Amino acid sequence: MQNEEPGMYLKLTDEELTDLLRKNDSVALETLFNRYYKPLCHFCAVYTKDYEAAEEIIADLFIKIWDGRSDSSILNIKNYLFTSARNLSINYNQKKKDPVDSIEDISFQNHIFEDTHTPFRILSGTESVSKILRLIDKLPERQREILLMSRIDQVDKRKISEVLGISIRTVETTLYQSIKELRRMLKDSTNLTSRG
Amino acid sequence: MEDNSYQLIIAYFEKTISDEELTELHEWLELHPNHQEQFRETMQILEASKSYFKKADEIEPTSWKLISAHIQKEEKGNIVNVGRKIHWLAYAASILIIGSMSLWWYKHASYKESTAVEYTEIINPEGQQSKILLPDSSVIYLAGGSKIKYRKNFSGNKRSVSLNGEAFFDVKHHRRPFVIQSGEISTVVLGTSFNIKAFASDHKVTVTVNSGKVGVMNTIEGKSHLVKYLTPNEQIEINTITGLYAFDATEATDVSSWIKNHFVFYDVPIHEVMSSLEHRYGVRIEFIDSGIGNARVTAKFKNMPLNNVMDELMVLSGLTYTKKNGNIYIYRANQKGGKTMN
Repeated sequence: MQNEEPGMYLKLTDEELTDLLRKNDSVALETLFNRYYKPLCHFCAVYTKDYEAAEEIIADLFIKIWDGRSDSSILNIKNYLFTSARNLSINYNQKKKDPVDSIEDISFQNHIFEDTHTPFRILSGTESVSKILRLIDKLPERQREILLMSRIDQVDKRKISEVLGISIRTVETTLYQSIKELRRMLKDSTNLTSRG
Repeated sequence: MEDNSYQLIIAYFEKTISDEELTELHEWLELHPNHQEQFRETMQILEASKSYFKKADEIEPTSWKLISAHIQKEEKGNIVNVGRKIHWLAYAASILIIGSMSLWWYKHASYKESTAVEYTEIINPEGQQSKILLPDSSVIYLAGGSKIKYRKNFSGNKRSVSLNGEAFFDVKHHRRPFVIQSGEISTVVLGTSFNIKAFASDHKVTVTVNSGKVGVMNTIEGKSHLVKYLTPNEQIEINTITGLYAFDATEATDVSSWIKNHFVFYDVPIHEVMSSLEHRYGVRIEFIDSGIGNARVTAKFKNMPLNNVMDELMVLSGLTYTKKNGNIYIYRANQKGGKTMN
């Protein structure tokens, strides 16, 4: 059984698509791909900090899903995708561990102070977004993880709690903590610059 | 409580806030100037966090090509190593060709065949060239005496064109494969430029690649087989009766020079040159003496009238011709009644 129009696939639920996928329907895989590719890459990039690497990881993931389609016992494909994305990203980070990362971190630190020194930027506030972005990478890992994940389309508190294996309540409080922490860091960096 | 205020601000930011919560938020904001500061900063942080991925959004996803290639490769057996070992992004950046896409396309196409499908057909008479813009912004230069046909709703799942004759394709890059069917030979690309010469009457299909990578497939007993992948300045010539092919390096821009009204022939049998001239100038050219059509010539013409082209070719090949009723007849040079050489 093939559906005639690719448009029809868009209306199918994840479960229906997973069923079709088991029956070797590659259009079903493509539909899932189009549905989740971008949020999955974003999700990966939270860990890899490298979008190209994230794309590669997700492409591999979909290839694995295709290869394992016949004996797959996946019940909730969305959960499966995001959980695998996270595991693969963490593996990726461990493999390429760490020299490059730490070099980047040091340069990040320098940037924070260099950039904010110009009076024009302090006054105009135009630096604030890039400053926040740099500070996000200084957050405790769990806070950073949850703050960034909660900004991805298709990813809600429930999804985060399922993937990280923590309660929704914990997701919420960690998110609030991350914002509090960022506000504190922002104040610190502003005080530092105005002083010096 | 502070957590509650964050919850309200986030709901506000995500536009999921209810009416009651909105009132609550307003009241809380009025309570203290610090609250407004918290609100402002939190909004800023949420906005910035979202833009953490902004730059990434601009990258065009190329991954599906890779996955799709994997699916095709598996369905088809191992035709070619699509190169996952090689860094795949480098691959995706160039053009990736999908193995048995035409077979896959047949399967899908057959479902549609039953419902009336509307086709666009473009036929050039001999001597007339045309440039065709397809709905996906790909461009086809169609040579004289050639014909293409494609589905009207071209923008569907696959882009497919059938060709009888010669055409130069400049295919807009897209992950939907572009398939050119010439009899049993299909040429599959994602986005590249190349020339196909496939006059059914020649029993020969010649594909020459200008840019990108092109997969050429032959259908034998209903099954599609990859003949060869071509990269720029490579040419394949397939005999459609025997299925035998010859593969060679060539200057691709010469082969496609006809689109600019130029002709470049490099060591080509003169009967093939004449057949190109027939299509280009809309004349009939006949070899009267046997065995003279295989002499090979190398020549270049730019926007020249047929008479001059003929004259030069005659000098080069040591042949001669006469014109009668608009037709051209070619003889050995020593034959009486031939035109004297200039």
